[in-house]
Amino acid sequence: MPSHPLRVAVVCSSNQNRSMEAHNILSKRGFEVRSFGTGSHVKLPGPAPDKPNVYDFKTTYEQMYNDLVRKDKELYTQNGILHMLDRNKRIKSKPERFQSCKDNFDLVITCEERVYDQVLEDLNSREQETMQPVHVINVDIQDNHEEATLGAFLICELCQCIQHTDDMENEIDELLQEFEDKSSRAFLHTVCFY
Amino acid sequence: MEFSAEDGDTHNVIDMTTSEKVVDLLNQAALIPTDAKLAVLKQVQELIINKDPSLLDNFLDEMIAFQTDKSIEVRKFVIGFIEEACKRDNELLLRLIANLNMLLKDDSVNVVKKAILTLTQMYKVTLQWLVRAKAVSDMQEACWEMVTQMKGDVLALLDSENDGVRTHAIKFTESLIVTLSPRVVDSDVPKRQESDITLDKVPKDHTYIRYDVLCEEGKSALDKLLKFMVHPAISSINLTTALGSLATIARQRPMFMSKVVQAYETLHANLPPTLAKSQVSSVRKNLKLHLVAVLKHPSSLEFQGQISTLLLDLGMPQSEITRSTPPPREHRKRPRHEQYTEGKKVKLEQTLMEDDEDKEEPAPLSAPKPAPVPVAQSAIDLTADFLRPLLNADNVANLVLISMVYLPDTMPASFQATYTPVESAGTDAQIKHLARLMATQMTAAGIGPGLEECKARENEASKEGANEDDMGSSDSLIKRKVMVGQAISVVGGYSEKEKAPNLAAVKRLPEPILPSAQTKLAGLTGRKKVFRLADVIQPLSETQIERLTSKTIKRILHSEKTITQSGMSHVRVKLLSKLVTQFEGIMKEDVLHFILEDIRSRSELAFSLLYQEYNTYLSQLPSGLLDSYDQCLYTLLSGLQEKPEQKDGLFTKLVLEAPIITESALEVIRRYCEDESRVYLGMTTLKELIVKRPSRQFQYLHVLLDLSSHEKEKVRSTALAFLKRMYEKDHLRDYIEKFALNYMQLLVHPNPPSLLFGADKDTEVASPWTEETVRQCLFLYLSLLPLNHKLVHELASVYTEAIADIKRSVLRAIELPIRGMGMNSPELLLLVENCPKGAETLVTRCLHILTDKVPPSPELVERVRDLYHKRVPDVRFLRVCVCVCGPSGEGSSSVSPLTPGDLLIALHNIDSIKCDMKSIIKATNLCFGEKNVYTSEVLAVVMQQLMEQSPLPILLMRTVIQSLTMYPRLCGFVMNILARLIVKQVWKYPKVWEGFVKCCQRTKPQSYSVLLQLPHTQLASVFERCPEMREPLLHHVRSFTPHQQAHIPASVMAVLEASKKAEAKPAEPVKKDAPHAERAPLLAAAEQAQAQARQQETRTVATHLVEEREVAAVEEEEEAEEEEQQQEEEQEQPMEQEQADLVRCEETVKVPLEVEMARGDETPEPEGEPEPKAEPKPDPVPVPESELEQQAEPEPDVQPHPEPQASPKPEAEPAEEPMETSEAPPSDSQETPKEDEDQDPVQDIGSGCEGAE
Repeated sequence: MPSHPLRVAVVCSSNQNRSMEAHNILSKRGFEVRSFGTGSHVKLPGPAPDKPNVYDFKTTYEQMYNDLVRKDKELYTQNGILHMLDRNKRIKSKPERFQSCKDNFDLVITCEERVYDQVLEDLNSREQETMQPVHVINVDIQDNHEEATLGAFLICELCQCIQHTDDMENEIDELLQEFEDKSSRAFLHTVCFY
Repeated sequence: MEFSAEDGDTHNVIDMTTSEKVVDLLNQAALIPTDAKLAVLKQVQELIINKDPSLLDNFLDEMIAFQTDKSIEVRKFVIGFIEEACKRDNELLLRLIANLNMLLKDDSVNVVKKAILTLTQMYKVTLQWLVRAKAVSDMQEACWEMVTQMKGDVLALLDSENDGVRTHAIKFTESLIVTLSPRVVDSDVPKRQESDITLDKVPKDHTYIRYDVLCEEGKSALDKLLKFMVHPAISSINLTTALGSLATIARQRPMFMSKVVQAYETLHANLPPTLAKSQVSSVRKNLKLHLVAVLKHPSSLEFQGQISTLLLDLGMPQSEITRSTPPPREHRKRPRHEQYTEGKKVKLEQTLMEDDEDKEEPAPLSAPKPAPVPVAQSAIDLTADFLRPLLNADNVANLVLISMVYLPDTMPASFQATYTPVESAGTDAQIKHLARLMATQMTAAGIGPGLEECKARENEASKEGANEDDMGSSDSLIKRKVMVGQAISVVGGYSEKEKAPNLAAVKRLPEPILPSAQTKLAGLTGRKKVFRLADVIQPLSETQIERLTSKTIKRILHSEKTITQSGMSHVRVKLLSKLVTQFEGIMKEDVLHFILEDIRSRSELAFSLLYQEYNTYLSQLPSGLLDSYDQCLYTLLSGLQEKPEQKDGLFTKLVLEAPIITESALEVIRRYCEDESRVYLGMTTLKELIVKRPSRQFQYLHVLLDLSSHEKEKVRSTALAFLKRMYEKDHLRDYIEKFALNYMQLLVHPNPPSLLFGADKDTEVASPWTEETVRQCLFLYLSLLPLNHKLVHELASVYTEAIADIKRSVLRAIELPIRGMGMNSPELLLLVENCPKGAETLVTRCLHILTDKVPPSPELVERVRDLYHKRVPDVRFLRVCVCVCGPSGEGSSSVSPLTPGDLLIALHNIDSIKCDMKSIIKATNLCFGEKNVYTSEVLAVVMQQLMEQSPLPILLMRTVIQSLTMYPRLCGFVMNILARLIVKQVWKYPKVWEGFVKCCQRTKPQSYSVLLQLPHTQLASVFERCPEMREPLLHHVRSFTPHQQAHIPASVMAVLEASKKAEAKPAEPVKKDAPHAERAPLLAAAEQAQAQARQQETRTVATHLVEEREVAAVEEEEEAEEEEQQQEEEQEQPMEQEQADLVRCEETVKVPLEVEMARGDETPEPEGEPEPKAEPKPDPVPVPESELEQQAEPEPDVQPHPEPQASPKPEAEPAEEPMETSEAPPSDSQETPKEDEDQDPVQDIGSGCEGAE
């Protein structure tokens, strides 16, 4: 067992669906978890694919919720966005941007390759200080509710396995290989340093 | 110090408390758990480092003492504390560096990693501290010596077995390289590291620290890192880390950029084969990221071509590459140098030198020293240059062909991931790239002209360098020796040749602060590795462990005989059971298997194992699981169950001695009980369980109860026998009873519940009830019934609710138990007395069963009569009464209120309005069924009496015909009766008259004399009905003597000869009859054929009916009942029903009488034992057969009718009011539609003389 609880960050692009779903499950399972988005804005589906609802990272979930209720309550109830926001606001007040967070983590899990790239870019652009390693793993999850749930469970299982390793850094490679075989997914994995 | 202030001065409290607080906190920390301890220690750290650094020195020892703490986190904290403390006060390095060294060799990799991270900082701190110091003390030297040695240790950790440790070592190396190389103009300088020591800040004339040595150490570290990176089995994470480190180095130390780019190139072309596919992707992604980072650096200019090619290969679009390429203006100042520098390496060196020049005066040694040539690069360059002209089409084609042979069977993941189609094949740029790729490979493989040349050059250079070093460093060496005095060579720590100085150094190395005896150990371990068992041994793999344990157990298992001989088998048993229960795994199975191989002689082991498992379970309470115990018990029991019969009762013993019977064990017991050959033993065991384990007896009892409806007869009956015995026990009684009743209660469902089909079919079954399923619900109940008569009422209530099918099955099933109860059962009598609505048939059936073989008791008769008179005036009960009375009339007439004859007469006198005719007929049939009661004498008396009544009973002639059928010898008597009926003007009673004619018809020729006594109009009426009678009668009369003939009145003779006249005289009848007559021959033939066919049909039908009798009987009763309940109003009246049946039969078979006969023969008993009842009955069947021809003959009228069978409705309608129809005078038949005429006899017979033949 590692000497301290794993500090986990789950990152997707808007810190709404995938990262929050995982945040939800992981925190329920007792992880010290935070969630982030890497996008420049928080985007939620709108009435048409080319008309998303765009917010900045300062907007609280509550505000988004109210905004969408006002815009088209039926549409956003029906597509599950309101439900999701409702869930989110119970977890924390507003989305957070990964690039703005200076806290250290042991493990950053990203939900798509683009986000992984952005996280890597951000971490590599930071000045090194403590040289504390942070492992970044990408688990591709499609951005819909069902996949988010499935993905969250996969992430949770992954985190639990990592948490239970005697020596995470020494075993994570092998563990991920096993996980790849088991879930027949490919995980990008790298290490960055604070 | 502060303590002096303790005396009263409150203002000093704050001061005091800091110190005091620390003391307090430290005291606390010694005793509390890790988490709290860390919090406390952090507080202390804050207090003594930030709040009041003056305390630091005081409490240093106490804090450092925690480095031996058991908790990894605490030890890591101590490392952090050392770092903070040393940063706060560099002097502390002298005291703490040895402690850090100790922690660097900690057992926990996490502590080691933390120590490496701290050393990364400490190295810089120490260097800076020493550089700043004008004069370096011995202590400081020793400290530096130790830091240098630790640096070497960490570099060596690049070969650690632990991935994470290696990762940290790489990062340390990166930092070391950056520190030990000069910052230049283009260097990226992270803001935080601005003040960090770098080589350029090391004065070249430092008294102790030697610039050039450090510079070499830096380069050597880089070489080490580069070498590390090309290791073929490098892990993905290490590679990633190294790639990042190289990028950092390239950006912060542009002079190494060529080496970095080249390393990237080499890596790209030679991705480690050990990487998995996704790892290849990750590494390539990193490579791309870092290449871009390097490309963005202003110093990348001359590598842009190589980097772009690599990036293109990695799949990055050209546009993006261009975007990442720094704008040319940034390079503007570079060309200045490049113009007069030939190669990159020279340029780099120039840059470096330039920077040096910028800052301080050029170091005397760096100028004459030849540029530290990046050997590999130039080797690649040279080889590439050499290869380029050789790469013509022919050569390339040959190369391809040759290399085909060496291609692996499967495409390696790295190749698959890295392959990108060659876009610019054959262009100069591509050939150049190819040449370079090949050169990279060749150089890596240690071949090629470039490499040779470089080696040659290197040798030369090293010679020169050595000379130069000697010359150049002589001063400093001397200086150093003078200065330091001691032969502590910095070079020595680096060039591994010198052992002696190191030995000398050992003494002088800083001693770690240690309160314990470990100090010495630590001192010793300064250089040499301590013997640690963990280092020497390798942990066994899981499979190895498993194999070894399994073998061990097997050895113990198979030493059975030897140990037994030595008399120590009890030890072996104990050992085995303890071992096996302690460890999980397959050996448990092994042992169980072993036991089962010969369980008889190994039962001791079996029990021991079982108890041990239970013991383990108990010791883990309350969280313990029974799984393991359960598995053990289950395996043993199943093993025994599956083995052929054993008489030793081991199964029973095991069950009874097992501490707990688990669910699955109970399942095995159940299986055991289901085995027909062991059912008794199994159930005895189960019984023992029920009796001896009261806490869960109902669970066991339930199994037995379940088995009571088992499909196997033997299992079922044994279970029932056991249950009956248990039923006598008060505490089990309720449970059994409730179960039985619940089970019976299932019968009220319209379909059998899935429960009845076993656990495996748990879907709702829509299949109808079958005899079998009904019985299943009743087995237990019925076997309890004789034990507890009160239960009979439950049956009645279920019965009333159940559907017809079930009722029938119930009636069949209850015979034995009801008989077992006997007619004196008060409960049964109560049932008869109360007879719940809807349960009449049940009660009837009970009565039949009771009185079938034994005469009924007065009480019973009493109740039946009461029931009939007071509550249910249903003749069906009277029928019962008949049945009940019949035998009793013979046995003890005093008891019976009626004689059989009286009864039959009474039946005839039942008001047909009050009671339907059909039931009355059935009742009389019942009487006729009792042949031994209703003897010919009895019947004669009955007929006599009936005939004397006035008006004549409707059923009179039916009874006469029936009697005649039963006792043909009564014929004479019947003739007498007929004659007397004429006197009574029988024709006034249409129904009776109908029967009269029929009777005459059947009794010809004896009846001729009777017929001749009829007045002529009535005789005409007879012929009306049976025209075929006329001819024989006429013939008969003609055979008389003239004297005799004279007695025949003329009017009668006229009727006798009427048809002739009719034929001759009136036109109408002729017309009417003519076709008949004309058709006669044809018809006769047809009729004959039909009659034959009918006869055959009748036979089949009759047989069929006999078979179906039981069913029909119950069905009829059902219908009657339903009608009673008025649940279905459309349901036809029984009479109608019968009529309809009749008609239907007539239509198809045209033998209504036979049908009726068959029906009439039906006793109301839905017999449970069809055989005995069926056998006496068959006689009626042949009878109608013989009569068929007779019967068929009167019906030819049916034939000419256009569609007699096509109109069942008009036929049925008159049937509703038989009386009315019969009133239609047969004489005006001319006018009456034939249909009606045809119908009439049938109707009448149906209602009046049904089944009379």
